[in-house]
Amino acid sequence: MTSTDKALVSSSSGLIREVRRLFWTVRDHSLFAGTLPYLFILPTFILIGLIVVYPILQAFYLSLLDVQFINPQGNFVGLRNITNILQSSIFWLVFRNSAIWTSVVVLFQFGLGLATALLLNQEFYGRTLARALIILPWVTPGVITGLLWRLLLEPNLGIVNGILATLGVVNPNIPWLSQPSTAMLGVIASAIWKGTPFSTVMYLAALQGVPEELLDAAKIDGATGWKRLLYVIIPSISPVIRITVLLTTIWTANYFDIIYVMTEGGPINQTHIFPTYIYELGFRRGKTSMAAAFGLVTATLLLIFSLWYIRELNKRKALE
Amino acid sequence: MTGMDKATWHRYRKKLHRVIIYVLVLLTLAVFSCPILWMVSVALKPAQETFRFPPTFLPVEPTLENFGKALNPVFLRYAFNSILVASSTTVLTLIFAIFSSYSFSRLHFRGRKPLLVVILLTQLLPLAVLIVPMFRILSGLGLINTYPALIIAYLTFTVPVAVWFLRGFFYGIPYELEEAAMIDGCTRLRAFLTIILPLSLPGISATGTYVFFVTWQELLFSLAFMTSKSMRTLPVGVLDFIGEHVTDWGALMAASVLVCVPVFVLFMFMQNQLIAGLTEGAIKG
Repeated sequence: MTSTDKALVSSSSGLIREVRRLFWTVRDHSLFAGTLPYLFILPTFILIGLIVVYPILQAFYLSLLDVQFINPQGNFVGLRNITNILQSSIFWLVFRNSAIWTSVVVLFQFGLGLATALLLNQEFYGRTLARALIILPWVTPGVITGLLWRLLLEPNLGIVNGILATLGVVNPNIPWLSQPSTAMLGVIASAIWKGTPFSTVMYLAALQGVPEELLDAAKIDGATGWKRLLYVIIPSISPVIRITVLLTTIWTANYFDIIYVMTEGGPINQTHIFPTYIYELGFRRGKTSMAAAFGLVTATLLLIFSLWYIRELNKRKALE
Repeated sequence: MTGMDKATWHRYRKKLHRVIIYVLVLLTLAVFSCPILWMVSVALKPAQETFRFPPTFLPVEPTLENFGKALNPVFLRYAFNSILVASSTTVLTLIFAIFSSYSFSRLHFRGRKPLLVVILLTQLLPLAVLIVPMFRILSGLGLINTYPALIIAYLTFTVPVAVWFLRGFFYGIPYELEEAAMIDGCTRLRAFLTIILPLSLPGISATGTYVFFVTWQELLFSLAFMTSKSMRTLPVGVLDFIGEHVTDWGALMAASVLVCVPVFVLFMFMQNQLIAGLTEGAIKG
C-alpha cells in the first residue's frame, strides 16, 4: 500500500471506506475498464445528440413547412422554401456580401497577422509588453468592438472624420456606416482590427518552432530576407497557417456581433451576411421556416468549402 | 570604398534597421491599442466634451460621472445574469470535456478517429442554423427567458472547443507517469483522477478561461432566447445605452469598459497557457 492509500484509508471510515475500496479495486482488465473510454465520451455524445443533431433534424423538418409567427403550425410545402431562396435576389446579395466579407477579412487577418508576428519576433526593447498589448483587440468582446467602431466612424463625433478634418479633407463628415458604398468597408475594417491579433499570436507561437540552423544555413547561402521568408519560414509554419486560415474563415463566415451592432445589415441590405440575415428572417420578420431553410443552405455552403479546403490541403501534403 | 567605410556603412545599416523596427512596432501598437484607449478616454469625458469636433484625444476635464451613470441597477442585473450564465456554462463544459478529451487523447478504442471527427465537425456548423429550431425546442419546453436556455445553447459550441483544447494539454503530460502508477497497482481511473487531473490543472483553467471568455461576449443566442429585459446578459444589455435619436456615448463607453475589464484581467493572468492551448490544439488537431 502506498502512503497515499494509507492516508486515504485513515481519513475515511466505515461504509465510505468499503465503497472506496470497491471503487478502486475495479481493475483494468475488468469489463468496466474495457468500456471506460466509451463511458468517458458518452455524456458528450448524448449532449451533442440532444442539442446539436436533434435541432438540425428539426431544422430540416421546419424547412419543409411554411411556419411563420402568424401560422405556427404550418403546412407542408416540400422544397419550395429552398427553391424560393435560390431564386430570390436577396439570397444572391447576401451570398455576395458574405463572400466579400469573409475573403477580405480572412486575407487581411492572414497578411497583417503574419507581418506583425514577424515584426514582434524581432529583438527590441519592450517586446513582452508589445506582445501582450497587441492581443487586446481579440480579447475585446465583439459587441464592444462594434460599438467602439461605430463611435470611431461616427460622422460628427468620430475620430476617423476628426483625423480627416485635421488633414484638411474638404468634406470630412462622411457617414461611413449609413451610405451603401462605404458601410461594408466600415464593418470589414473593424473585423480585421478585432481578429488580426489572433493570427498574430498563432504565427508568433509557430515562429518559435522555426529551426535556427535552417535560417542560419539560408543566410550563409546568401538568401535575402524575402527568400528566407518564402522558402524557410513559411514552409516550416505552414501547418499552423493552414489551421489558422480554416479557423478564421469559419469564425468570420459565422460572425454576427460586429455587423449586428454596427449596421444591422443595412443600409438597404448592403452589409447583410448569412447569420445576420437569418436572425432578421427568423426573429424580426417571424418567417421561421424560411430562416431554417436559409440556415441549412448556409451550413451546406460552409461544409462544402471546409471539405474542399481540407481535401486541397491533403492533396498538397501528398505532393510534398 | 575602403574597408573602414564598409564597416561604418554596415554599422549605419544596422542602426537604421533598428530604427525602422521601432517605428513599425510603435505604428502597429498605435493601430491596435488606440481604439481601446479612445474608448477609455470617451468614458472619462464629461458630456459636453464628447460632442466637440474635431474630438479631443485625451479628456480635458476627466470625470467618473459616466461610470456612475453606467452602473445603474438594471446594468448590475445584466452583469449578474452574465456572471451566472458564463460561470455555469464554464463548469458544465469542463465536466463534459475533461472526460471525453482524456479518452480521446489517451485511451485506445474502436471508433476513436470517426468519433473525434464528429466533434470537430460540429465546430464547422454555423450557429445560425441552430438558432431557429433551438428556439422552437426551448419554447416548447417553456425555457425561453430562463438561464438553462442560454446555458444549453452555449454548450453546443463550448464543449467541442473545450475537447479540442484539452486534448492538446493531455498530450503534453508524459504517458510514462500513468504507466508507472498503473504498474504500482493503480487502476486507470485512479491514475487519471489522482495523477493526470492535478497535473493538467493549468490546461483546465486555460480552457475554462477560454470558455468563459466566449460565453461572456455571446450575442446571438442571448438576443434570441432572453426576450424579457430582466434576463438579458451584458452584450445585449449594453445596447440599452444607444438612444433612438441621441446616444450617450460617454455612458455607453463607460459600460463598454466595464464589460471588457473582467475578460482583460482574466486574460492577463492566463495569457501564456491560453496561447499554448490554442497552438497545441491546432498542431495536434
